[in-house]
Amino acid sequence: MDWLDAHLLTIVTFLPLATGLALLAAPRLPAALWQAIGLASTAIAFLLSLRLFAGFDPARSGYQFVEYASWLPGYGIHYFVGIDGMSLLLVLLTTFLQPLVLLAAWRDVERSPRSFVFMNLFLETGMLGAFVSLNLFQFYVFWEVMLVPMYFIIGIWGGPRRVYAAVKLIQFTMFGSLFMLVAILSLYLLHADQFGTQTFDLVRAPAGATPGLLDTIVPLAGQAAWWKTQPWLFAAFGLAFGIKVPIVPFHTWLPDAHVEAPTAGSVILAGVLLKMGTYGFVRFALPLFPVAASEFAPLVFGLALAGILYGALVAMVQQDVKKLVAYSSVAHLGFVMLGIFALNAEGLEGGILQMVNHGLSTGALFMLVGMLYQRRHTREIAAFGGLARPMPVYAALFGVVAMSSIGLPALNGFVGEFLILAGTFLARPWVAVPATFGVVLSAVYLLWMYRRVFFGPCDDPENRSLVDLDLREKAVLVAILIPIVWIGVYPNPFLTRLEASVGDLLHQMELKRDAAEHWTAPSQVAAAEARP
Amino acid sequence: MLGEVLLSRRRTFLGQLVSDAWIGSLLALTAVVFLGLAIYAAGAVYWSGAALSFQSGGAAARLDRFSAFFAALVAVSSFLICWLSIAYLVELRINHGEYYALVLLSTAGMMLLVEAADLLVLFLGLELMSIPIYVLAGFDRRKLRSNESALKYFLVGSFASAVLLYGMALVYGVSGHIDYAGIRAAFPPGNPIGLIGMGLVVVGFAFKVSSVPFHQWTPDVYEGAPTSVTAFMAITVKVAAFAALLRISLAAFGSLIGDLSTLYWALALASVVVGNVMAVIQTNLKRLLAYSSIAHAGYVLIGMAAATPEGYTAVLFYLVAYVFMNLGAFAVLVSLANRGRDCEDLQDLAGLARTRPGLAALLSLFMLSLAGIPGTVGFVGKFLVFKAAVASGLIGLTLVGVLGSLVSVYYYLRVPVVMYMSEPGEASLRQESSTGELLVLAVCAALVLLLGLFPSRAPGFLSSIAALEWARQSVALLF
Repeated sequence: MDWLDAHLLTIVTFLPLATGLALLAAPRLPAALWQAIGLASTAIAFLLSLRLFAGFDPARSGYQFVEYASWLPGYGIHYFVGIDGMSLLLVLLTTFLQPLVLLAAWRDVERSPRSFVFMNLFLETGMLGAFVSLNLFQFYVFWEVMLVPMYFIIGIWGGPRRVYAAVKLIQFTMFGSLFMLVAILSLYLLHADQFGTQTFDLVRAPAGATPGLLDTIVPLAGQAAWWKTQPWLFAAFGLAFGIKVPIVPFHTWLPDAHVEAPTAGSVILAGVLLKMGTYGFVRFALPLFPVAASEFAPLVFGLALAGILYGALVAMVQQDVKKLVAYSSVAHLGFVMLGIFALNAEGLEGGILQMVNHGLSTGALFMLVGMLYQRRHTREIAAFGGLARPMPVYAALFGVVAMSSIGLPALNGFVGEFLILAGTFLARPWVAVPATFGVVLSAVYLLWMYRRVFFGPCDDPENRSLVDLDLREKAVLVAILIPIVWIGVYPNPFLTRLEASVGDLLHQMELKRDAAEHWTAPSQVAAAEARP
Repeated sequence: MLGEVLLSRRRTFLGQLVSDAWIGSLLALTAVVFLGLAIYAAGAVYWSGAALSFQSGGAAARLDRFSAFFAALVAVSSFLICWLSIAYLVELRINHGEYYALVLLSTAGMMLLVEAADLLVLFLGLELMSIPIYVLAGFDRRKLRSNESALKYFLVGSFASAVLLYGMALVYGVSGHIDYAGIRAAFPPGNPIGLIGMGLVVVGFAFKVSSVPFHQWTPDVYEGAPTSVTAFMAITVKVAAFAALLRISLAAFGSLIGDLSTLYWALALASVVVGNVMAVIQTNLKRLLAYSSIAHAGYVLIGMAAATPEGYTAVLFYLVAYVFMNLGAFAVLVSLANRGRDCEDLQDLAGLARTRPGLAALLSLFMLSLAGIPGTVGFVGKFLVFKAAVASGLIGLTLVGVLGSLVSVYYYLRVPVVMYMSEPGEASLRQESSTGELLVLAVCAALVLLLGLFPSRAPGFLSSIAALEWARQSVALLF
């Protein structure tokens, strides 16, 4: 048991991939067995992550369940994992969604179901690895590696324009990531200059003497070569994460990727992958470059607001229900960005909680759309109508999930949005007003879509003969509804685990901001001394 | 090395006697045995840390750790290519024994090249390496493109050698020495003739490593030659040429490293941009790999432009990475050649995931490594090169390199797209791979992943494969 606890994060992270590799060694097994083993593996990973949740001490700040091993010590590259309140919730989200995804896609995959299972397992390890990494090189490896299974999932099992969507996803994401790589190297060098040691670790290693990259004082604009200053480094990190979030105007890959991906791919893409971007901001961009973060906050606010309003407006005119949900993601993540860049406790807690909420509700929405597509092989809203009659259970569940997405009180969306808007109002009051209007807009497009699809006369004979949800589908949806309702009614367990980490983050940003403002670059000191 | 030369003489004679498939394999296996001995010898020199100097009447060669590193790398590469060629030559019906003789002769030349410690030995090694390859490029005598490839390579290569020789003459004229140590001591700084000479030497090498703007011959020559010869040219020749260039830059022109660095900067920039951009439009796989090798030469040159021990370590490791990922990709192409017909076109690979899933997966792995996706050795190589460049302050060049990588992702990923996401076409490809090809594929795939995850020190029994450490120690010797 002790060994399990000591290595819990590693086990949770690598169990899916290990299972996948083990399955590769026995390719002749029947596909259903592959699916069952994959499902079992992801379910076990979820149960282990519940243990993480239970064992997590909300009162302690800093990282817990830390594991450290040297990998390339000469280059400061170590295997360094640990979680705090923020990553804990995201790890839980990932391990929770993945088995449900595999269960929901049980009958969906016609072609090469074994490869499909393997790709999903690979993807889960990639995502978990990115959430728990505390070494910047390791994070980068997981960040990029994640793209490979996603590329194959979209490219092989997707819709008619799948190759275009997959290539666009990869190119776009790598564009940002590569600039982030250069920024990481620049940060590494700054740290080496200031502390004399070479490391990619974010924080001080356990039993380590050298401070991590977070302790580096990144010069402000004009204090050092441009590529070592806060604004540019923040911009590089911000580009990489902003493309992933996605922030308008880097969002153009999202509708294509979501629409063309198979159901399982869309759920994971919307549920978890988009959170990588926002997580990156909270874990790396904000604490490493706090001065630049506050300087860029108005810009990000503007773009987030644009995303909220633009996403909602475009979603309103969509005829494809999957594309509608895709644009709603743009709008929802605009809210998350708003919360994060409010740079206060309410905003950050709301933003992170909303990441989880969005993962649950939009993930559920994509699953529901997928179930409908399975039956009717179309996603056009105009092809549906009055579906509440033949599929009442489906309609009810869809309704609850739609309400959660809108932000109805008593469901999870409300808690997140309320905190975000409170935080935004504290930071910049007059941004909160149009943002709140965005909530109204989301109600408009979702309810209008709901009316067109479910209410009204059920004329089409194809619609009338639709079969309602079977046990497996009901189980998946009810499972997602549990946290949706729980977070909405009693969010305290989740919020308390966030408090310490968020408080820590803000405190650190404060300290670093002061340090940066009082730090004089060595060249300036020399120049000052040279003057008589 | 001497043993190789003698054996290859004998083999040519045998080859003329009997051109039978069976004899061909026997010759190949003898070649392989001798190359294995060469690898062992190089390894022994490396581990012992000994430095053997050979000097005779002014000519000098130095077998130290640096040379041993590259001698081993070149020998391993030739070793694997010989294994690869056994079945391939039979499929293409060009199974003449002279092939192995020429490969061995060329490898012998490369050994001499990486050991060279003065200008004449350098030239000798270069020519000994190149001339057999001119012949090898035209080995498929019945095909017009192969003949064209040989002639083109011969003409351009001779021109390059002439330029190199002229540069060497100028350097000799200015410094009065032909050995590197002497040149370094006596090289007058700021002398325009000396600078031109040095520049011409670099240009001569730039032809050999197909750096832009001296790359024009590469796509045509690579496309026309038989695929295993293309592999030999693209991989082994580049490695040997870079080794010699690195050695001469530091040992002979060490005092002018700043100017050299600027020259490499320009070559790197041009190669990365042109190589990647031109590769995007290619539909022929061999041309695609040709342009990609131009781009990779660019990345290596970025490391050389960094002009620090860190940069040179990155160069050495990148070359190791380059050998195995490229060899793997070529090995897949060779495995698909069928009854006189090469597998060349991108569309030939359509639907390969259905017909030969193992090969498709391996080719995807090698493409991902070439693109620089983390988890593979290609990423580690690029990471080290970019790190060295940023540490030297070459941030603009790094950004160009990074953008070039992005462009390369597009054309490298087109291959898995065609393999996995298209229906199988009518191209009749081979259904089974020979033992030699499987061996090469296994070795390359294993190293791509192993060195990608543990470049410096693998856990457990593999801990002796510390490629990055070896690179670092080899470079330390030069300073």
